[in-house]
Amino acid sequence: MPQATRKSHVPVGAIPTPLHARLEALSTARRWTNWAGFVSPLVLDTAEFEYFAIRNQSTLFDISPMHKYRITGPDALAVVNRLVTRDAGRMRDGRVGYALWCDEEGMVIDDGTLFRFSDTDFRLCCQEPMLGWLQETAWGFDADIRDESHEIAGLALQGPTSYSLLSDAGLAAAAALGPFDMAEIEPGLVISRTGFTGDLGYELWTAWDSVADLWDRLWAAGAHCGLRAIGSQALDICRIEAGFIAAGVDFQPAHAAVRLHRGRSPIELGFEKLVDFGKGHFNGRRALLPQRGTGGRHHLARIDIAGFKPAGGALIYHRKKKEVGHVTSGVWSPTTKRNIALAEFRAPYGRTVTDNLWVEIYVNQEGQWDRRIVPLTVVSEPFFRNARSRATPPGPF
Amino acid sequence: MPPDATGAGKGAFDVVLIGGGHNGLAAAITLARKGRSVCVLERADRPGGMARSSEPAAGAHVPEIAHLLYNLDARVARELGLGLLLKSPPIPAVSLAPDGRHVVIAGDAARFADGTPHPDAPAFGELNARLRRFAGLLGRLSLKSPPRFDGGLASLATMGEMAALARLGLDLKRLGKHEMREFLRILLGNAHDLVLDEMADGPLAGAICADAVRGNHVGPRSPGTVFNLMYRLGSGGAVRLPEGGMGAVCGAFEQAARAAGAEIRTGCDVVRILVENDAAKGVALRDGTTIRAGAVLSSAGPLQTMTLAGIGHFDVEAVRRARNLRCKGTVAKLNLVLGAAPEITGLRGDLAAGRLLVAPSAVAVERAFNPVKYGELPAEPVIEAVIPTLTEPSLATNGRHILSANVQHIAHTPRGGWGDAARNRITATVLSQLERHMPGLKGLVEAAELLTPADIEARFGAPGGHWHHAEMGIDQILTLRPANGLAHYRLAVHGLYLCGASAHPGGDVTGLPGRNSARQLLKDRIL
Repeated sequence: MPQATRKSHVPVGAIPTPLHARLEALSTARRWTNWAGFVSPLVLDTAEFEYFAIRNQSTLFDISPMHKYRITGPDALAVVNRLVTRDAGRMRDGRVGYALWCDEEGMVIDDGTLFRFSDTDFRLCCQEPMLGWLQETAWGFDADIRDESHEIAGLALQGPTSYSLLSDAGLAAAAALGPFDMAEIEPGLVISRTGFTGDLGYELWTAWDSVADLWDRLWAAGAHCGLRAIGSQALDICRIEAGFIAAGVDFQPAHAAVRLHRGRSPIELGFEKLVDFGKGHFNGRRALLPQRGTGGRHHLARIDIAGFKPAGGALIYHRKKKEVGHVTSGVWSPTTKRNIALAEFRAPYGRTVTDNLWVEIYVNQEGQWDRRIVPLTVVSEPFFRNARSRATPPGPF
Repeated sequence: MPPDATGAGKGAFDVVLIGGGHNGLAAAITLARKGRSVCVLERADRPGGMARSSEPAAGAHVPEIAHLLYNLDARVARELGLGLLLKSPPIPAVSLAPDGRHVVIAGDAARFADGTPHPDAPAFGELNARLRRFAGLLGRLSLKSPPRFDGGLASLATMGEMAALARLGLDLKRLGKHEMREFLRILLGNAHDLVLDEMADGPLAGAICADAVRGNHVGPRSPGTVFNLMYRLGSGGAVRLPEGGMGAVCGAFEQAARAAGAEIRTGCDVVRILVENDAAKGVALRDGTTIRAGAVLSSAGPLQTMTLAGIGHFDVEAVRRARNLRCKGTVAKLNLVLGAAPEITGLRGDLAAGRLLVAPSAVAVERAFNPVKYGELPAEPVIEAVIPTLTEPSLATNGRHILSANVQHIAHTPRGGWGDAARNRITATVLSQLERHMPGLKGLVEAAELLTPADIEARFGAPGGHWHHAEMGIDQILTLRPANGLAHYRLAVHGLYLCGASAHPGGDVTGLPGRNSARQLLKDRIL
């Protein structure tokens, strides 16, 4: 990288994570992307190999670029509950919860995972930079906001053999962790049973400068578990299979959207269960009240599309005539052998009107465009779900 | 309606009002006259807020802050039963000139104090008449809640407010092409350029510029000062020294409120607004008592009100806007008790009872604004002084006189803080400024009371010690007053309203924010 050799008083260009040297050594594809300012692999080898490793073996993905914030102090719980739509007061200590937070209009600013160490100590992991917003939210409260993004590194260890690998690496204590549990398994190493794949998996959080050692330790134990390092492209297939939404893809973070009405509410994204109207005021509550029980202007749904052509970006029609929505994330699911997608509908389509909906897919076959109108089915369950992802203690797959 | 008609419980009121300033009292009058049970809670030992008078020396009654009545709308005064306040004739302004050629301004006319015509009198007359005409159009918007655009045309309330705006548009059209263009040309402009386009710089231009910046953290070259000038002229521009002094003004508000059936309790320091199920249900006082009510109106600033209710009840954005409100108080008040009436060089006795301005030129007013930007104390501040005892000798006993001076462009807290040295320096500076025109003034001073913006904030709770609770500026008026999303007097918590000067239409002893807020509450059918 020529930038790295150039003398500069400030870092120029994408920043290497502490694992960059290891990833670079493994990368045959040499396909990198910029994730929150850091160099992050799109693909290290081939996306297909990496995808099947997630579903059949174990995989490591460097999630250090994730934004991480620590919220501490006597009013930490009040600040968190002012921020997110769910009730963090009902989470037990040592639990992780998926959470969304809104602006005053009830539009989602971002989503992420909320780690509850105690009612005076939380960590929030998310995609978008959030320090300013958290500080504003905490104004007037006795709570301290700390940006841990450059202090805490993270590794996502995902796949059916991930628990076996952990125990081979001397971290068998993780056996006690149920889904969305977390614990400090060793001093300075927090493991949470969370992930973006919908399968058995863990996320390991440690200090920025000890993550490389952790990587080596897992790598050394991982040979017989089929451990592979992966990039984000394979992971993206898995997250669609699991039905997880991605910021900037399935919804536009309200603070980043410039145009009017581009924001979406948590209810419109299908998370009414995570909006607790009874816990007292939280940001955007009054704007969300009218959507309670009735939905909003839009409705994000999981859909199963006929045929096998991935439908990313495709428009959706009712009775093949009226345009009623579009696909936000679409992919051919190799595990379920279905053509799956997340799609945004204009209400009431996709929510109460679910029949006679059609997807218009354009296919480029070596320079020749073909248009296909295929039917879709709205699906209520995640496309991919298996028992092993929830078994506690996890089995030695 | 009996006190517990809203079901708030025994001993409860329909509405409890925080702050017994003239706006709180105006709201109380409006509500009580509509049959609502009202309780006004005032922290001090007597109501009136910044419109009340005080007694710095026994037998001498000075207007504590506001010393003149501007902008009291005739219709509103009648509506509130305060018509008497407008009976006293308007007083002239006298812009004191260093060379003794003082300029007298009365309505659209300007002349020298010795009776000779002022060369810029025709230009001034034309400018003032035009500004007054424009101000009249805008002034109409001050009688209602500001128009809002988010209700959609289906909403009846929005339609009504839009109609007011449409009428303004129509009236602008009716001005004719030339005048309408002129209106749009100057509306957002600065007073300095507007005035100096029409006349030479001097005491006349200085006086107009001083009026354009009074009370605000701006200089005449700041954009938006033409609007401020128009705001001053909103109800015709007449300035009055009411019979009985300003004390009589707040007395009249208080009497009207009591007559309408409102209860006024003094010495009641509200420490908390009770919020239940996202609705305001009363207040808690420092002594631990609670007073329950169906709605709460607050004369405090938006952030102060939010803090009383609990920041957690408000969206992050609303709190941010309230925190970022521009409210840097820049006017200090100097009240003097004098042993005898001061002589004013080159001024006849009756004119001495007018509004005395020390603003020798537009440039001088702009220069006087410079120090405050850097937290420094001015050497030659702009002063507006009145000697109310010349009109109303009974305000001070034993033939004494009082002089009340607004000293423009004094920092809320200057660098180094408000020690005795800084306070004495301001008093000395103002006395020296006045002494130039009133030889021997210093020797007449028996008592002096200086209220800095910091004092005003501490004593009256005005945010930043600002007269108007929030700077009057193009970014903080109409639908943006006090801030985006906070217009319409409603705060997000159900039944919680702003009724102080921070709300539309803004500052001065107009009673309008209070009266409009009460009308909005009635319109919202909360009770």
